[in-house]
Amino acid sequence: MKNGILLAAALIIATVVLIVIGTVKPIPSAEHFAGEQNLLPSSSTPEAAVRNLGDEISLGHWARAYDSLANKTQFSEDEFIHDLTGYYANLRTDATLNSFEVRPLHATENDAEMRLTLHWATVLGPSESTRDLHVTRVGDHWAPEWPLDKRPAVPPQVIPVNYLRWDVIYPGPGDDWGVQGVEAPHVRIVDMRPVQRAEGVVILGELLNDDVVPAYVSVTATLQSKTGKALATEDSFDKISHVLLPKQVTPFLIDFPDATLSSVGSIRMSPFSTLVPASADPVIEIDNAHLNPAPDASLSGELMNESGQIVNVAHVLGTFYDKSGQVVWIGDEYIDRALLPQTPQAFLIHIPEDLARNVSSQRTVVSSFEYGGVL
Amino acid sequence: MLRRLFIGCAGVALAAGLAAAQPSVRVEPATLQGPRALAEQTANSVIQDYLQSWRSLSVALDQNNPELLDADFTGDAKSKLAETIREQAALGMSTHYQDLTHDVQIVFYSPEGLSLELTDMVQYEVQLFDHGKPEPKQQVRARYVVMLTPAQVRWRVRVFQALPGD
Amino acid sequence: MRLLAFFASGLALGVAPLAFAQSGNLTLPKAVEAGAAFSIATAGSGKATLYIAGLGQVVKRQVDLGQTVNFPVGTLYSAGRYVVVLQGDQEPESGEFDVVPAKGVAELSFLARPSRLPVGLHDAITGAVYVFDAYKNLMVAPTPVSFELSGPSGAAQKRTVVTRFGAAWTEFDSTARQGADKFVANAGAASTRRVISQVPGDPCGLTMTAKRDGKQVELQTAPIRDCSGNPVPDGEVVTFTASFGDDQSTADVPIKGGIAKIDMPIQDGALISVASGVVMGNQIRWEK
Repeated sequence: MKNGILLAAALIIATVVLIVIGTVKPIPSAEHFAGEQNLLPSSSTPEAAVRNLGDEISLGHWARAYDSLANKTQFSEDEFIHDLTGYYANLRTDATLNSFEVRPLHATENDAEMRLTLHWATVLGPSESTRDLHVTRVGDHWAPEWPLDKRPAVPPQVIPVNYLRWDVIYPGPGDDWGVQGVEAPHVRIVDMRPVQRAEGVVILGELLNDDVVPAYVSVTATLQSKTGKALATEDSFDKISHVLLPKQVTPFLIDFPDATLSSVGSIRMSPFSTLVPASADPVIEIDNAHLNPAPDASLSGELMNESGQIVNVAHVLGTFYDKSGQVVWIGDEYIDRALLPQTPQAFLIHIPEDLARNVSSQRTVVSSFEYGGVL
Repeated sequence: MLRRLFIGCAGVALAAGLAAAQPSVRVEPATLQGPRALAEQTANSVIQDYLQSWRSLSVALDQNNPELLDADFTGDAKSKLAETIREQAALGMSTHYQDLTHDVQIVFYSPEGLSLELTDMVQYEVQLFDHGKPEPKQQVRARYVVMLTPAQVRWRVRVFQALPGD
Repeated sequence: MRLLAFFASGLALGVAPLAFAQSGNLTLPKAVEAGAAFSIATAGSGKATLYIAGLGQVVKRQVDLGQTVNFPVGTLYSAGRYVVVLQGDQEPESGEFDVVPAKGVAELSFLARPSRLPVGLHDAITGAVYVFDAYKNLMVAPTPVSFELSGPSGAAQKRTVVTRFGAAWTEFDSTARQGADKFVANAGAASTRRVISQVPGDPCGLTMTAKRDGKQVELQTAPIRDCSGNPVPDGEVVTFTASFGDDQSTADVPIKGGIAKIDMPIQDGALISVASGVVMGNQIRWEK
């Protein structure tokens, strides 16, 4: 009993002593994470300088990151932060930098070109951005120059909008059998094709809202064996534009990982639609959409927000067809920058290399999301 | 000899008991009017769900527990059966229903698919219990008209009514 | 041998339930109208308990045998088969009778579909009706139900159908004119109305024009109508596509004020096309 009391007293005293030591003379790494001092290695090489900048960005140490720049007099710290996270709410606003890569492009004794690839984790998955930085020697260390992406400012103006919007009154609670409801929007699958890929079976298709009201849509597919037994059921999840205006078409892609097409006897497709409040605006134009051949096959182009409202997140879906007009692939990209009115925003959708040579045409659609509004 | 006879009688009694628990069911070909075709799978599931509803009502009226109706009944059929259970409970009664035979025929499938009607010449036993004391069993033969409506995963009975005079 | 008799009687009980007299000391009505007053006559003397049990209601009364038991209006209102048991000092008596639906249709369950459909479709509007009395009993006796579908212009399609097991159905064509149609079902004094929205069909003869507007080209459709001449509603998407070499520009533009219109940057020599859903419109080769 006595021994136990002694042990407890010893532990308490030791803990207090360690706390005092840690507070009076902390170790450098603790100081760094507490924001007291810079632990990062010195910027003795161009690569180290850019790597340090990446570390500061990933830790959210904006002031330190800004201070490390050779060209900081050309813009303010706020402009630097907005260049990375966006001025208006967008996918990057709440994203964190997961990792980054630094790749030297060119170097001399006094300056160098480095490529910084930032891997962001957004609410809709990973997002990547790349910047080529000029790095210069400043005395005994190197300092990167930040290539600030100066976006054109749209002149202040008033854009008249004939606001077209659909609202829905849903049935109240209780048994509504025999009471007239509102018909779910009529949608139909206008194209469907299963494809075998290395990672499994993929079902590609297009869905049309055949009605005069907007629809929230999704597509579910069930793979059935040759004996009619259900093998797996999946839905289109995010490879679809979920809100379709009347007569609008969306591509859809349904993934069946690890499935093999040879064991599939039939596929049951179930399009789902329900009424949803929606707005006919904004109209987003897709300009200069261009198929880039392999290697690095892709569809590139620009989005132009034709309305006066800011689009916080845009989802670009590309449908790729072969010469006979058959769908061969569907790809997508979330734009991690807000679309400002009348301001072009580039997009790039990658196309699998093995399919790229079969692609002869494309069709691109954009769905938009506004924070605080409807999908 | 007696032992053999005892075993034989017990076997027959057991078979009779089992027969009482599992009613014999005859399904007549549907005589549908209307533009909507009735898939065999739909017809089978409707009849299966309808027969299940007899089991539910039997247990619910036996135990005076209206919650046991939820899975198989909806709308007015459920309200009326639940009201019967409340009345029984207030009077200190319960009722035991045992369906013996069914002769089912689907007679109407509404064009939009939201309702289906069948008739059933059903033979069943009723036994009342007053404060647990059994009254004599009574056998009833009546033709029921039943309307079912689709719910999320099954068909539920919405109208359940014996036709007069049969 | 006694044991044999015991099992034989047990077997008989299991196979054929007890049979009870329907008459004797108990006189039952053959049928009672839902909600109406009725009476049950008893014979004999002494006290007894009378039970009336059905799937819709249960009644229990203490009675003096030899008296007629009167049940006031509203006692039994749920249609169906009821069993009756009279339990006194002597052997119980039993019987059964029917409660039949009350006279006069009081309520219709009217399933009208669809609530919205394109104009000019054959037999596309359906209506199914179930008829009920004031106590929500299905009226199983044949009952005439009249259906009427009338458009905004007043022209009506009418049909009368007699119910079978309480149900009747019909189907009508959608008319050539868009608008909200009234779909009414009548039976006796009961009437129920539904609204069927007839909407324009696919665009017909979709055409556009193009003209220079500063650095851009203004693309505008002619007023968009379906093949019956109904204006296609605002909000339907029209897709403009401009192709030049390997480059393509597209815009999904909702119709506003009967037309779709947008300014697009279009190069000389580009091929411009217009479509709505699966309907293709004209094409224009853009030259300065």
